[in-house]
Amino acid sequence: MFPRSNSLNPPLEPPAERRIALPARLRSLPFFRIIAVWEAFLVALGSLRQNKLRTGLTLIGIVVGVTAVIAVVTIIKGLDQTVAQTFSSQGSTVFTISKRPRVITSREDFIKFNRRKDITEDDAQAIFRLCNTCWRAGLAANDAVPVKRGNQKADTVALRAIAPTAMFEIDAVTINAGRFWSETEGNSGQSVCVVGSDIITNFFPYESPEQAVGQDLWAGGHRYRIVGVLQPLGKIFGISRDERIFIPFATYKKDYGLNVARGAFNTSGALVVFVQTQSADQLETAEDQVRAVMRNRRGKTFKDADDGFALETEDVFLNLYASATSNIYLVTIGVAAISLVVGGIVVMNIMLVSVTERTKEIGIRKAVGARRKDIMTQFLIEAVMVTAIGGAFGVLTGFGTAWLIALAIGFPLLFSIWSAVLGVGVSSIVGVISGLWPAWRASRLDPIEALRAE
Amino acid sequence: MTEATVATSQESAGVFAKSKLPSSDGKADVLIGMQNIWKTYDMGAEKVHALHGVSFEVHRGEYVAITGPSGSGKSTLMNLIGCLDTPSQGDYWLNGKNVSEMDDDELARIRNQEVGFVFQTFNLLARATALHNVELPLIYGGIPGGKRREMAKQALTEVDLVDRMMHRPNELSGGQRQRVAIARALVNHPSILLADEPTGALDTHTSYDIMNLFEKLHEEGNTIILVTHEHDIAARAHRVISIRDGLIEKDEQIR
Repeated sequence: MFPRSNSLNPPLEPPAERRIALPARLRSLPFFRIIAVWEAFLVALGSLRQNKLRTGLTLIGIVVGVTAVIAVVTIIKGLDQTVAQTFSSQGSTVFTISKRPRVITSREDFIKFNRRKDITEDDAQAIFRLCNTCWRAGLAANDAVPVKRGNQKADTVALRAIAPTAMFEIDAVTINAGRFWSETEGNSGQSVCVVGSDIITNFFPYESPEQAVGQDLWAGGHRYRIVGVLQPLGKIFGISRDERIFIPFATYKKDYGLNVARGAFNTSGALVVFVQTQSADQLETAEDQVRAVMRNRRGKTFKDADDGFALETEDVFLNLYASATSNIYLVTIGVAAISLVVGGIVVMNIMLVSVTERTKEIGIRKAVGARRKDIMTQFLIEAVMVTAIGGAFGVLTGFGTAWLIALAIGFPLLFSIWSAVLGVGVSSIVGVISGLWPAWRASRLDPIEALRAE
Repeated sequence: MTEATVATSQESAGVFAKSKLPSSDGKADVLIGMQNIWKTYDMGAEKVHALHGVSFEVHRGEYVAITGPSGSGKSTLMNLIGCLDTPSQGDYWLNGKNVSEMDDDELARIRNQEVGFVFQTFNLLARATALHNVELPLIYGGIPGGKRREMAKQALTEVDLVDRMMHRPNELSGGQRQRVAIARALVNHPSILLADEPTGALDTHTSYDIMNLFEKLHEEGNTIILVTHEHDIAARAHRVISIRDGLIEKDEQIR
């Protein structure tokens, strides 16, 4: 029998009972916490792998939320770039004078603007003559006409009548094949036209732009000879900017008359004066000069609040676009918030189930020395892992969705690493929030009760 | 403790051999001191006294069996000894520390460092390998990976299972599972080895193997407390404390 008495045992060794245990101070150092956290990480990974289906179903809410955000953010970023490029092609040196502004937000305004006088060629002439900071100026009228060439037909194609040829430069279009019409051709009302690249694709499917030059096209019942084909501009919001026909303004007037009064809702043929300054600095001065000229022509005194015309830069569009996209952002954030909240509740529910299922395991861990925060960490990590994986999936499906939509309507894809980080980050925060209560419950389990569980 | 000390102790004969160094005041060999321990459960309308004033001492290196019929309070006593619970009244000194008024996390630390549990149903993590199960107390003790694995392997060698260390519990027999549990209990070099019906789920032959293992561990100097209701198992211990109705009925040295 082994003697229990101390005296029989020679003191060869140092006291054995504290050989391994580290002082509490040392054990609470981050390094030693990492050991328990790493364990928690592995346990969480194992548990998620064990319950693949459950994990997958848990993820859906999070995935949907993150997908929505990522897709919308990516799409809008792409559109932003398209829009920015489009409007900067005309640049911030161009402004227009028209009867009505392009954006009308109320019925009262609509009625008021319709009572205004139409912009006339005389107005344009006066502006050209009197505005000395204006670098280029021109006038344009837009219409939509049926177009025919052989068997190829289209009901409405954009027709843009412009004068003088400097309008091509204000419109920032460039020639791909052929040439612009000459000033003489334009002023004398020749039946010539310059067409966008889609006109060639649609009406001359078997011919190159070069071959199409010199051929005839029927637009609105009149025949025009193609003298030039433009470089493609691409699409914006899925609408082609290359399916249009430019004719000289004099030709338009001859063929269609000046249809400025087609009706309140039909602005076809309405004249718009375009003014371009040499640099953006001169824009304001030019605007002031033009405003003075036009107010004078409309008989407006200093006291009249309304100009009697609309003087606009392209900023109008940009502002409208910005307010539209900010609304889309808001709606998306709302949708995402709802699905993340729902997803978070699902995760919380699953975590509560997981805690109940693993009561015994918690008991064992507590019996061998796991503290409350060890158990808490373990379940928090598990919850965060679920939601972070959900977030990562969401980022992928969101980019995928954006890619599909980009393919369909055509805009550049800008995959932002930040939106990916944000997607995973936000869903991880959802994980922490929804894991907190189940993890707290797990950490409070009585080890005796927990060990008794089956 | 420093690594050097660990190394020294591991070089000595049995890794889990305990030294019996007399302390200066001559009291340190009292490992467990229970003084007038009461445990009362509040069952709503009535209070149930599971233990009414239990006092005893266990010295370092003892091999004690606690027996008693079911409902006698021996499970309650075991939970108190193992620091899974605190007494309603009275003082419990474990290895020089008053455990009776510790909070949950302090108790967890005591369990981690002073107590090695062996349960009737083994209580191994089903999804973890034998090695990982044995490493578990070290993980919560903050022992870094390399050393942890080495210590766990040592413990598995001690119970003769090192060749099975990568197996999961469901790939092991009952006796092997219990030996994994014993290795887990030993791995942190606890002050006491606390076994609750360790042979309750095993056949007679395997039970004897396990009891022989306990004997060997005791001979290496470990303090063992065995809770059982089986008399032949209790008879393997050197001292038997019998509990009945929440009181110590008998406390006898049988060897």
